[in-house]
Amino acid sequence: MTSDTQREAVVAIPTDNGAPADNPVAAEHDDVDRTYEHDVNGVIRTSDMDVFYGDFRAVGNVSLSFAFNEITALIGPSGCGKSTVLRSLNRMNDLIPSARVDGEVFYHGEDIYDPEVDPVEIRRRIGMVFQKPNPFPKSIYDNVAWGVKINGFKGRKEAMDEVVEQALTEAALWDEVKDKLNDSGLSLSGGQQQRLCIARAIAIQPDVVLMDEPCSALDPIATLRIEELMIKLKQHYSIIIVTHNMQQAARVSDKTAFFNVELDATGQRTGYLVEYSPTDELFTRPRVQQTEDYITGRFG
Amino acid sequence: MTELRTHFHDELERLEHDLVLMGEHAGQMISDSVAALVASDFEAAQGVIDKDDVVDDLYLEVHQRWLATMALQTPVAIDLRLMSVILHVNSHLERIADLAVTIAKITELSQGLPHDPTVISHLQEMGDMVASMVRTVMEAFTSRDLESALELPEMDRPVNRLNRKMVRKVVKFAEETDLLEWGVRMMVVSRTLERAGDNAVDVAEQIAFLLTGEFREFTDASHHD
Repeated sequence: MTSDTQREAVVAIPTDNGAPADNPVAAEHDDVDRTYEHDVNGVIRTSDMDVFYGDFRAVGNVSLSFAFNEITALIGPSGCGKSTVLRSLNRMNDLIPSARVDGEVFYHGEDIYDPEVDPVEIRRRIGMVFQKPNPFPKSIYDNVAWGVKINGFKGRKEAMDEVVEQALTEAALWDEVKDKLNDSGLSLSGGQQQRLCIARAIAIQPDVVLMDEPCSALDPIATLRIEELMIKLKQHYSIIIVTHNMQQAARVSDKTAFFNVELDATGQRTGYLVEYSPTDELFTRPRVQQTEDYITGRFG
Repeated sequence: MTELRTHFHDELERLEHDLVLMGEHAGQMISDSVAALVASDFEAAQGVIDKDDVVDDLYLEVHQRWLATMALQTPVAIDLRLMSVILHVNSHLERIADLAVTIAKITELSQGLPHDPTVISHLQEMGDMVASMVRTVMEAFTSRDLESALELPEMDRPVNRLNRKMVRKVVKFAEETDLLEWGVRMMVVSRTLERAGDNAVDVAEQIAFLLTGEFREFTDASHHD
Protein backbone atom coordinates (compact mmCIF):
# COMPACT_ATOMS: atom_id res chain seq x y z
CA MET A 1 0.00 0.00 0.00
CA THR A 2 1.39 3.36 -0.86
CA SER A 3 -1.22 6.04 -1.21
CA ASP A 4 -2.58 8.22 1.57
CA THR A 5 -6.12 7.13 0.84
CA GLN A 6 -5.14 3.53 1.28
CA ARG A 7 -3.51 4.34 4.59
CA GLU A 8 -6.84 5.76 5.70
CA ALA A 9 -8.11 2.23 5.54
CA VAL A 10 -5.91 0.88 8.27
CA VAL A 11 -7.42 2.57 11.27
CA ALA A 12 -10.64 2.11 13.09
CA ILE A 13 -12.41 5.42 13.06
CA PRO A 14 -14.36 6.20 16.22
CA THR A 15 -17.63 8.02 16.09
CA ASP A 16 -19.44 9.84 18.86
CA ASN A 17 -21.25 6.72 19.89
CA GLY A 18 -18.02 4.77 20.03
CA ALA A 19 -18.62 2.67 16.93
CA PRO A 20 -16.31 2.76 13.93
CA ALA A 21 -17.57 5.15 11.27
CA ASP A 22 -18.78 3.93 7.92
CA ASN A 23 -15.71 4.53 5.83
CA PRO A 24 -16.03 3.67 2.15
CA VAL A 25 -12.27 3.58 1.69
CA ALA A 26 -11.81 1.34 4.68
CA ALA A 27 -14.57 -0.89 3.41
CA GLU A 28 -12.41 -1.78 0.40
CA HIS A 29 -9.78 -3.32 2.66
CA ASP A 30 -10.38 -6.42 4.66
CA ASP A 31 -6.93 -6.67 6.16
CA VAL A 32 -7.43 -4.19 8.97
CA ASP A 33 -9.60 -4.16 12.03
CA ARG A 34 -12.48 -1.74 11.88
CA THR A 35 -14.64 -3.47 14.41
CA TYR A 36 -12.99 -2.53 17.67
CA GLU A 37 -15.31 -0.43 19.73
CA HIS A 38 -13.41 2.63 20.87
CA ASP A 39 -14.04 3.83 24.38
CA VAL A 40 -14.56 7.55 23.91
CA ASN A 41 -14.32 7.96 27.66
CA GLY A 42 -10.81 6.52 27.93
CA VAL A 43 -8.23 8.37 29.99
CA ILE A 44 -6.29 9.13 26.81
CA ARG A 45 -7.77 9.06 23.35
CA THR A 46 -6.14 9.84 20.02
CA SER A 47 -8.16 10.74 16.99
CA ASP A 48 -6.65 10.57 13.49
CA MET A 49 -3.23 11.29 14.93
CA ASP A 50 -0.33 11.73 12.50
CA VAL A 51 3.20 12.33 13.75
CA PHE A 52 5.72 13.98 11.44
CA TYR A 53 9.43 14.54 11.75
CA GLY A 54 9.87 17.37 9.25
CA ASP A 55 8.20 16.16 6.04
CA PHE A 56 8.47 12.54 7.08
CA ARG A 57 5.24 11.06 8.35
CA ALA A 58 6.40 8.52 10.94
CA VAL A 59 2.97 7.27 11.86
CA GLY A 60 -0.42 7.93 10.37
CA ASN A 61 -4.09 8.10 11.32
CA VAL A 62 -3.91 6.54 14.75
CA SER A 63 -7.23 6.45 16.57
CA LEU A 64 -6.92 4.70 19.90
CA SER A 65 -8.52 4.91 23.31
CA PHE A 66 -6.68 3.90 26.49
CA ALA A 67 -8.85 2.80 29.38
CA PHE A 68 -8.59 3.63 33.08
CA ASN A 69 -6.77 1.13 35.27
CA GLU A 70 -5.69 -1.03 32.40
CA ILE A 71 -2.38 -1.93 30.85
CA THR A 72 -2.25 -1.38 27.11
CA ALA A 73 0.64 -2.80 25.10
CA LEU A 74 1.81 -1.33 21.80
CA ILE A 75 3.58 -3.94 19.68
CA GLY A 76 4.90 -4.16 16.15
CA PRO A 77 8.07 -4.41 14.09
CA SER A 78 10.89 -1.88 14.30
CA GLY A 79 9.98 1.40 12.62
CA CYS A 80 6.22 0.93 12.98
CA GLY A 81 5.91 4.05 15.09
CA LYS A 82 4.89 2.54 18.42
CA SER A 83 7.43 4.55 20.44
CA THR A 84 6.53 7.64 18.43
CA VAL A 85 2.89 7.13 19.35
CA LEU A 86 3.81 6.64 23.01
CA ARG A 87 5.93 9.79 23.12
CA SER A 88 3.10 11.77 21.53
CA LEU A 89 0.78 10.94 24.41
CA ASN A 90 2.60 13.23 26.86
CA ARG A 91 4.15 15.65 24.36
CA MET A 92 7.64 14.19 24.72
CA ASN A 93 7.99 14.69 20.96
CA ASP A 94 7.85 18.45 21.58
CA LEU A 95 11.49 18.12 22.60
CA ILE A 96 12.39 17.20 19.00
CA PRO A 97 12.33 20.48 17.01
CA SER A 98 11.10 18.97 13.73
CA ALA A 99 8.35 16.87 15.34
CA ARG A 100 4.73 17.76 14.65
CA VAL A 101 1.51 16.08 15.68
CA ASP A 102 -1.63 16.40 13.56
CA GLY A 103 -5.01 15.16 14.69
CA GLU A 104 -6.00 15.19 18.32
CA VAL A 105 -4.87 13.63 21.57
CA PHE A 106 -7.36 13.94 24.41
CA TYR A 107 -6.47 13.50 28.07
CA HIS A 108 -9.63 13.41 30.20
CA GLY A 109 -11.38 14.98 27.22
CA GLU A 110 -8.93 17.90 26.88
CA ASP A 111 -6.78 18.25 23.78
CA ILE A 112 -3.21 18.13 25.08
CA TYR A 113 -1.94 19.89 21.94
CA ASP A 114 -4.14 22.90 22.55
CA PRO A 115 -1.81 25.96 22.62
CA GLU A 116 -3.19 26.85 26.07
CA VAL A 117 -2.01 23.58 27.57
CA ASP A 118 1.27 23.52 29.51
CA PRO A 119 3.33 20.52 28.34
CA VAL A 120 5.12 20.34 31.70
CA GLU A 121 1.80 19.85 33.47
CA ILE A 122 0.89 17.17 30.92
CA ARG A 123 4.12 15.31 31.65
CA ARG A 124 3.46 15.57 35.39
CA ARG A 125 0.11 13.86 34.94
CA ILE A 126 1.32 11.42 32.30
CA GLY A 127 4.61 10.05 33.60
CA MET A 128 7.19 8.14 31.63
CA VAL A 129 9.66 5.32 32.23
CA PHE A 130 12.35 4.77 29.63
CA GLN A 131 14.11 1.80 28.10
CA LYS A 132 17.32 2.22 30.07
CA PRO A 133 17.04 2.94 33.78
CA ASN A 134 18.17 6.54 34.19
CA PRO A 135 18.35 7.45 37.87
CA PHE A 136 19.93 10.80 38.68
CA PRO A 137 23.42 10.68 40.20
CA LYS A 138 21.85 11.46 43.54
CA SER A 139 20.74 9.50 46.58
CA ILE A 140 17.87 7.02 46.32
CA TYR A 141 15.83 9.39 48.50
CA ASP A 142 16.55 12.43 46.33
CA ASN A 143 15.77 10.53 43.13
CA VAL A 144 12.20 10.14 44.36
CA ALA A 145 11.91 13.49 46.14
CA TRP A 146 13.32 15.57 43.27
CA GLY A 147 10.26 15.53 41.03
CA VAL A 148 8.00 16.21 43.98
CA LYS A 149 10.10 19.24 44.99
CA ILE A 150 10.22 20.81 41.54
CA ASN A 151 6.48 20.37 41.29
CA GLY A 152 6.07 22.79 44.18
CA PHE A 153 6.02 20.56 47.25
CA LYS A 154 6.14 22.83 50.29
CA GLY A 155 5.54 20.35 53.12
CA ARG A 156 7.81 19.43 56.03
CA LYS A 157 10.59 16.82 55.85
CA GLU A 158 8.35 14.23 57.56
CA ALA A 159 5.72 14.71 54.85
CA MET A 160 8.34 14.27 52.13
CA ASP A 161 9.60 11.13 53.93
CA GLU A 162 6.08 9.75 53.66
CA VAL A 163 5.83 10.58 49.97
CA VAL A 164 9.19 8.87 49.30
CA GLU A 165 8.28 5.80 51.34
CA GLN A 166 4.90 5.48 49.67
CA ALA A 167 6.35 5.79 46.16
CA LEU A 168 9.12 3.28 46.90
CA THR A 169 6.59 0.91 48.48
CA GLU A 170 4.27 1.17 45.46
CA ALA A 171 7.27 0.50 43.24
CA ALA A 172 8.06 -2.64 45.31
CA LEU A 173 11.50 -1.29 46.22
CA TRP A 174 11.06 0.00 49.78
CA ASP A 175 12.07 -3.20 51.60
CA GLU A 176 15.27 -3.40 49.58
CA VAL A 177 16.38 0.21 50.06
CA LYS A 178 14.82 1.46 53.31
CA ASP A 179 18.12 1.11 55.18
CA LYS A 180 20.22 2.85 52.53
CA LEU A 181 18.16 5.75 51.31
CA ASN A 182 21.23 7.98 51.23
CA ASP A 183 23.17 5.63 48.94
CA SER A 184 23.46 6.67 45.32
CA GLY A 185 20.66 5.55 43.03
CA LEU A 186 23.40 4.38 40.69
CA SER A 187 24.57 1.82 43.29
CA LEU A 188 21.44 -0.26 42.71
CA SER A 189 21.12 -3.18 40.29
CA GLY A 190 19.55 -2.56 36.86
CA GLY A 191 16.18 -3.92 37.93
CA GLN A 192 16.23 -1.90 41.16
CA GLN A 193 17.21 1.22 39.21
CA GLN A 194 14.22 0.74 36.91
CA ARG A 195 11.91 0.34 39.91
CA LEU A 196 13.48 3.51 41.34
CA CYS A 197 12.61 5.28 38.09
CA ILE A 198 9.05 3.98 38.41
CA ALA A 199 8.95 5.27 42.02
CA ARG A 200 10.24 8.63 40.76
CA ALA A 201 7.53 8.71 38.10
CA ILE A 202 4.66 7.84 40.45
CA ALA A 203 5.82 10.06 43.35
CA ILE A 204 4.32 13.08 41.58
CA GLN A 205 0.98 11.29 41.38
CA PRO A 206 0.32 10.97 37.66
CA ASP A 207 -2.65 8.89 36.58
CA VAL A 208 -1.02 7.49 33.46
CA VAL A 209 2.44 5.94 33.22
CA LEU A 210 4.00 5.47 29.79
CA MET A 211 6.67 2.78 29.62
CA ASP A 212 8.99 2.57 26.63
CA GLU A 213 10.58 -0.90 26.60
CA PRO A 214 11.05 -0.75 30.37
CA CYS A 215 12.54 -4.25 30.65
CA SER A 216 14.74 -4.45 27.59
CA ALA A 217 17.89 -3.80 29.63
CA LEU A 218 16.92 -6.15 32.45
CA ASP A 219 17.52 -9.84 33.18
CA PRO A 220 14.53 -12.23 33.21
CA ILE A 221 14.01 -12.11 36.99
CA ALA A 222 14.15 -8.31 37.11
CA THR A 223 11.79 -8.31 34.11
CA LEU A 224 9.26 -10.50 35.93
CA ARG A 225 9.47 -8.20 38.99
CA ILE A 226 8.65 -5.17 36.83
CA GLU A 227 5.80 -7.07 35.16
CA GLU A 228 4.32 -8.05 38.54
CA LEU A 229 4.73 -4.45 39.65
CA MET A 230 2.88 -3.18 36.57
CA ILE A 231 -0.06 -5.47 37.33
CA LYS A 232 -0.21 -4.07 40.90
CA LEU A 233 0.19 -0.49 39.74
CA LYS A 234 -2.73 -0.63 37.33
CA GLN A 235 -5.08 -0.49 40.33
CA HIS A 236 -4.10 3.18 40.63
CA TYR A 237 -2.74 4.09 37.20
CA SER A 238 -3.31 3.47 33.55
CA ILE A 239 -0.20 2.03 31.98
CA ILE A 240 0.75 2.11 28.31
CA ILE A 241 3.79 0.03 27.43
CA VAL A 242 5.80 -0.29 24.26
CA THR A 243 7.46 -3.66 24.08
CA HIS A 244 9.33 -5.74 21.53
CA ASN A 245 8.65 -8.78 23.67
CA MET A 246 5.32 -10.19 22.53
CA GLN A 247 5.18 -12.60 25.43
CA GLN A 248 5.56 -9.66 27.78
CA ALA A 249 2.62 -7.95 26.08
CA ALA A 250 0.66 -11.19 26.42
CA ARG A 251 1.58 -11.61 30.09
CA VAL A 252 0.87 -8.13 31.38
CA SER A 253 -1.52 -6.21 29.18
CA ASP A 254 -5.30 -6.04 29.08
CA LYS A 255 -5.40 -4.69 25.54
CA THR A 256 -2.88 -4.78 22.74
CA ALA A 257 -2.47 -2.50 19.76
CA PHE A 258 -0.54 -3.96 16.83
CA PHE A 259 1.18 -1.51 14.50
CA ASN A 260 2.73 -2.29 11.16
CA VAL A 261 4.81 -0.26 8.74
CA GLU A 262 4.40 0.36 5.03
CA LEU A 263 6.78 1.71 2.42
CA ASP A 264 5.63 4.25 -0.12
CA ALA A 265 6.99 4.65 -3.66
CA THR A 266 9.79 6.91 -2.40
CA GLY A 267 10.88 4.40 0.22
CA GLN A 268 9.39 6.36 3.09
CA ARG A 269 8.18 4.18 5.97
CA THR A 270 4.98 5.08 7.76
CA GLY A 271 3.59 3.20 10.73
CA TYR A 272 -0.11 2.47 11.07
CA LEU A 273 -2.45 0.79 13.48
CA VAL A 274 -3.58 -2.64 12.28
CA GLU A 275 -5.55 -4.04 15.19
CA TYR A 276 -6.50 -3.05 18.70
CA SER A 277 -8.08 -5.86 20.71
CA PRO A 278 -8.30 -7.36 24.17
CA THR A 279 -4.96 -9.11 24.62
CA ASP A 280 -6.41 -12.57 25.18
CA GLU A 281 -8.31 -12.30 21.90
CA LEU A 282 -5.41 -10.87 19.95
CA PHE A 283 -3.15 -13.74 20.97
CA THR A 284 -5.70 -16.52 20.45
CA ARG A 285 -7.82 -15.36 17.52
CA PRO A 286 -6.58 -12.12 16.01
CA ARG A 287 -9.05 -10.44 13.70
CA VAL A 288 -6.55 -9.36 11.08
CA GLN A 289 -4.32 -11.65 9.03
CA GLN A 290 -1.38 -9.20 9.34
CA THR A 291 -1.56 -9.51 13.12
CA GLU A 292 -1.62 -13.28 12.92
CA ASP A 293 1.33 -13.35 10.52
CA TYR A 294 3.37 -11.10 12.81
CA ILE A 295 2.69 -12.78 16.14
CA THR A 296 3.16 -16.29 14.74
CA GLY A 297 6.47 -15.34 13.10
CA ARG A 298 5.28 -15.65 9.51
CA PHE A 299 6.32 -12.15 8.72
CA GLY A 300 9.50 -10.50 7.56
CA MET B 1 6.13 -14.05 3.34
CA THR B 2 9.20 -14.60 5.42
CA GLU B 3 9.07 -17.56 7.77
CA LEU B 4 10.77 -16.65 11.03
CA ARG B 5 9.94 -19.72 13.12
CA THR B 6 10.89 -22.50 10.75
CA HIS B 7 11.90 -24.99 13.43
CA PHE B 8 8.65 -24.54 15.35
CA HIS B 9 6.42 -24.66 12.29
CA ASP B 10 8.23 -27.74 10.99
CA GLU B 11 7.50 -29.45 14.31
CA LEU B 12 3.85 -28.41 14.07
CA GLU B 13 3.72 -30.01 10.62
CA ARG B 14 5.30 -33.20 11.96
CA LEU B 15 2.77 -33.37 14.80
CA GLU B 16 -0.08 -32.88 12.35
CA HIS B 17 1.40 -35.50 10.04
CA ASP B 18 1.47 -38.06 12.86
CA LEU B 19 -2.10 -37.19 13.76
CA VAL B 20 -3.21 -37.77 10.17
CA LEU B 21 -1.45 -41.12 10.26
CA MET B 22 -3.31 -42.00 13.46
CA GLY B 23 -6.57 -40.98 11.76
CA GLU B 24 -5.84 -43.33 8.85
CA HIS B 25 -5.10 -46.19 11.26
CA ALA B 26 -8.15 -45.49 13.42
CA GLY B 27 -10.54 -45.32 10.45
CA GLN B 28 -9.06 -48.50 8.98
CA MET B 29 -9.34 -50.27 12.34
CA ILE B 30 -13.06 -49.47 12.49
CA SER B 31 -13.52 -50.89 8.95
CA ASP B 32 -11.37 -53.94 9.69
CA SER B 33 -13.02 -54.69 13.03
CA VAL B 34 -16.51 -54.65 11.52
CA ALA B 35 -15.35 -56.68 8.50
CA ALA B 36 -13.85 -59.26 10.89
CA LEU B 37 -17.14 -59.38 12.82
CA VAL B 38 -19.19 -59.83 9.65
CA ALA B 39 -16.91 -62.59 8.34
CA SER B 40 -16.28 -64.16 11.78
CA ASP B 41 -12.60 -63.79 10.87
CA PHE B 42 -10.79 -64.14 14.18
CA GLU B 43 -7.36 -63.70 12.64
CA ALA B 44 -8.45 -60.33 11.18
CA ALA B 45 -9.91 -59.38 14.59
CA GLN B 46 -6.54 -60.14 16.18
CA GLY B 47 -4.93 -57.96 13.50
CA VAL B 48 -7.05 -55.03 14.70
CA ILE B 49 -5.99 -55.65 18.30
CA ASP B 50 -2.33 -55.75 17.26
CA LYS B 51 -2.62 -52.54 15.28
CA ASP B 52 -3.74 -50.69 18.37
CA ASP B 53 -0.14 -50.83 19.62
CA VAL B 54 0.89 -48.70 16.63
CA VAL B 55 -1.80 -46.13 17.43
CA ASP B 56 -0.91 -46.12 21.13
CA ASP B 57 2.76 -45.51 20.30
CA LEU B 58 1.80 -42.59 18.06
CA TYR B 59 -0.54 -41.25 20.75
CA LEU B 60 2.17 -41.24 23.40
CA GLU B 61 4.76 -39.85 21.00
CA VAL B 62 2.47 -36.98 19.91
CA HIS B 63 1.61 -36.22 23.52
CA GLN B 64 5.25 -36.08 24.59
CA ARG B 65 6.31 -33.88 21.68
CA TRP B 66 3.24 -31.68 22.20
CA LEU B 67 4.30 -30.99 25.78
CA ALA B 68 7.85 -30.11 24.74
CA THR B 69 6.58 -27.84 21.97
CA MET B 70 4.23 -26.00 24.33
CA ALA B 71 6.98 -25.55 26.88
CA LEU B 72 9.61 -24.37 24.41
CA GLN B 73 7.73 -22.47 21.74
CA THR B 74 4.85 -20.61 23.46
CA PRO B 75 2.56 -20.71 20.43
CA VAL B 76 -0.06 -18.02 19.82
CA ALA B 77 -3.05 -17.37 17.53
CA ILE B 78 -3.55 -20.03 14.80
CA ASP B 79 -0.52 -21.94 16.12
CA LEU B 80 -1.99 -22.02 19.63
CA ARG B 81 -5.35 -23.16 18.31
CA LEU B 82 -3.66 -25.87 16.24
CA MET B 83 -1.76 -27.05 19.32
CA SER B 84 -5.00 -27.22 21.30
CA VAL B 85 -6.67 -29.12 18.46
CA ILE B 86 -3.76 -31.57 18.18
CA LEU B 87 -4.06 -32.45 21.86
CA HIS B 88 -7.81 -33.05 21.65
CA VAL B 89 -7.79 -34.88 18.32
CA ASN B 90 -4.95 -37.08 19.55
CA SER B 91 -7.20 -38.30 22.38
CA HIS B 92 -10.25 -38.77 20.17
CA LEU B 93 -8.35 -40.83 17.59
CA GLU B 94 -6.77 -43.01 20.25
CA ARG B 95 -10.27 -43.54 21.64
CA ILE B 96 -11.66 -44.50 18.21
CA ALA B 97 -8.88 -47.07 17.84
CA ASP B 98 -9.69 -48.45 21.30
CA LEU B 99 -13.36 -48.76 20.29
CA ALA B 100 -12.29 -50.77 17.23
CA VAL B 101 -10.37 -53.07 19.60
CA THR B 102 -13.56 -53.51 21.67
CA ILE B 103 -15.40 -54.67 18.52
CA ALA B 104 -12.54 -57.06 17.64
CA LYS B 105 -12.62 -58.56 21.15
CA ILE B 106 -16.39 -59.03 20.97
CA THR B 107 -15.88 -60.85 17.65
CA GLU B 108 -13.55 -63.27 19.43
CA LEU B 109 -15.97 -63.67 22.35
CA SER B 110 -18.88 -64.33 19.99
CA GLN B 111 -17.11 -67.28 18.38
CA GLY B 112 -19.51 -70.19 17.88
CA LEU B 113 -22.65 -68.33 18.93
CA PRO B 114 -25.70 -68.43 16.62
CA HIS B 115 -26.26 -65.10 14.87
CA ASP B 116 -28.80 -63.09 12.93
CA PRO B 117 -27.93 -61.89 9.37
CA THR B 118 -30.16 -58.80 9.57
CA VAL B 119 -28.30 -57.53 12.62
CA ILE B 120 -24.96 -58.26 10.95
CA SER B 121 -25.90 -56.24 7.87
CA HIS B 122 -27.15 -53.50 10.17
CA LEU B 123 -23.77 -53.34 11.92
CA GLN B 124 -21.90 -53.43 8.63
CA GLU B 125 -23.89 -50.40 7.51
CA MET B 126 -23.05 -48.58 10.74
CA GLY B 127 -19.38 -49.53 10.42
CA ASP B 128 -19.20 -48.16 6.88
CA MET B 129 -20.78 -44.92 8.01
CA VAL B 130 -18.45 -44.44 10.97
CA ALA B 131 -15.32 -45.28 8.92
CA SER B 132 -16.51 -42.74 6.35
CA MET B 133 -16.99 -40.15 9.11
CA VAL B 134 -13.42 -40.65 10.32
CA ARG B 135 -12.08 -40.33 6.76
CA THR B 136 -14.17 -37.22 6.07
CA VAL B 137 -13.19 -35.46 9.25
CA MET B 138 -9.48 -36.15 8.79
CA GLU B 139 -9.67 -34.90 5.19
CA ALA B 140 -11.42 -31.78 6.50
CA PHE B 141 -8.52 -31.35 8.93
CA THR B 142 -5.77 -31.66 6.34
CA SER B 143 -7.55 -29.46 3.79
CA ARG B 144 -8.79 -26.97 6.44
CA ASP B 145 -12.30 -27.48 5.07
CA LEU B 146 -14.87 -26.03 7.44
CA GLU B 147 -17.81 -27.03 5.25
CA SER B 148 -16.86 -30.71 5.37
CA ALA B 149 -16.30 -30.53 9.14
CA LEU B 150 -19.78 -29.09 9.58
CA GLU B 151 -21.24 -32.12 7.73
CA LEU B 152 -20.26 -34.49 10.53
CA PRO B 153 -23.36 -34.06 12.74
CA GLU B 154 -25.51 -34.86 9.69
CA MET B 155 -23.39 -37.95 8.96
CA ASP B 156 -23.77 -39.03 12.59
CA ARG B 157 -27.57 -38.96 12.60
CA PRO B 158 -28.17 -42.27 10.72
CA VAL B 159 -25.59 -43.95 12.95
CA ASN B 160 -27.53 -42.86 16.01
CA ARG B 161 -30.81 -44.01 14.43
CA LEU B 162 -29.42 -47.47 13.63
CA ASN B 163 -28.10 -47.76 17.18
CA ARG B 164 -31.55 -47.04 18.59
CA LYS B 165 -33.12 -49.61 16.24
CA MET B 166 -30.64 -52.18 17.52
CA VAL B 167 -32.14 -51.96 21.00
CA ARG B 168 -35.54 -52.95 19.64
CA LYS B 169 -34.05 -55.88 17.73
CA VAL B 170 -32.16 -57.23 20.73
CA VAL B 171 -35.24 -56.95 22.95
CA LYS B 172 -36.96 -59.29 20.48
CA PHE B 173 -34.12 -61.81 20.93
CA ALA B 174 -35.36 -62.28 24.50
CA GLU B 175 -38.00 -64.51 22.96
CA GLU B 176 -35.33 -66.52 21.08
CA THR B 177 -33.05 -67.44 23.96
CA ASP B 178 -30.38 -69.06 21.74
CA LEU B 179 -29.73 -65.61 20.12
CA LEU B 180 -29.87 -63.60 23.33
CA GLU B 181 -26.19 -63.72 24.37
CA TRP B 182 -25.03 -62.93 20.83
CA GLY B 183 -27.67 -60.20 20.58
CA VAL B 184 -26.50 -58.53 23.78
CA ARG B 185 -22.91 -58.62 22.50
CA MET B 186 -24.02 -57.04 19.19
CA MET B 187 -25.85 -54.36 21.15
CA VAL B 188 -22.46 -53.48 22.65
CA VAL B 189 -20.92 -53.42 19.15
CA SER B 190 -23.67 -51.07 18.00
CA ARG B 191 -23.16 -48.79 21.00
CA THR B 192 -19.38 -48.89 20.40
CA LEU B 193 -19.81 -47.76 16.79
CA GLU B 194 -22.15 -45.02 17.92
CA ARG B 195 -19.46 -43.81 20.37
CA ALA B 196 -16.82 -43.88 17.59
CA GLY B 197 -19.14 -41.70 15.50
CA ASP B 198 -19.47 -39.26 18.40
CA ASN B 199 -15.68 -39.05 18.65
CA ALA B 200 -15.50 -38.19 14.95
CA VAL B 201 -18.04 -35.40 15.54
CA ASP B 202 -15.87 -34.15 18.42
CA VAL B 203 -12.89 -34.03 16.04
CA ALA B 204 -15.03 -31.97 13.66
CA GLU B 205 -15.79 -29.52 16.49
CA GLN B 206 -12.07 -29.10 16.97
CA ILE B 207 -11.53 -28.39 13.28
CA ALA B 208 -14.28 -25.78 13.34
CA PHE B 209 -12.53 -24.18 16.33
CA LEU B 210 -9.21 -24.24 14.49
CA LEU B 211 -10.71 -22.49 11.49
CA THR B 212 -13.07 -20.03 13.16
CA GLY B 213 -11.53 -19.37 16.58
CA GLU B 214 -14.93 -20.09 18.16
CA PHE B 215 -15.44 -23.31 20.09
CA ARG B 216 -18.93 -24.75 20.29
CA GLU B 217 -20.41 -28.20 20.62
CA PHE B 218 -22.24 -29.35 17.49
CA THR B 219 -24.62 -31.49 19.49
CA ASP B 220 -25.72 -31.52 23.07
CA ALA B 221 -25.57 -34.98 24.62
CA SER B 222 -28.48 -34.11 26.92
CA HIS B 223 -30.68 -33.14 23.93
CA HIS B 224 -30.11 -35.91 21.38
CA ASP B 225 -32.30 -36.05 18.32
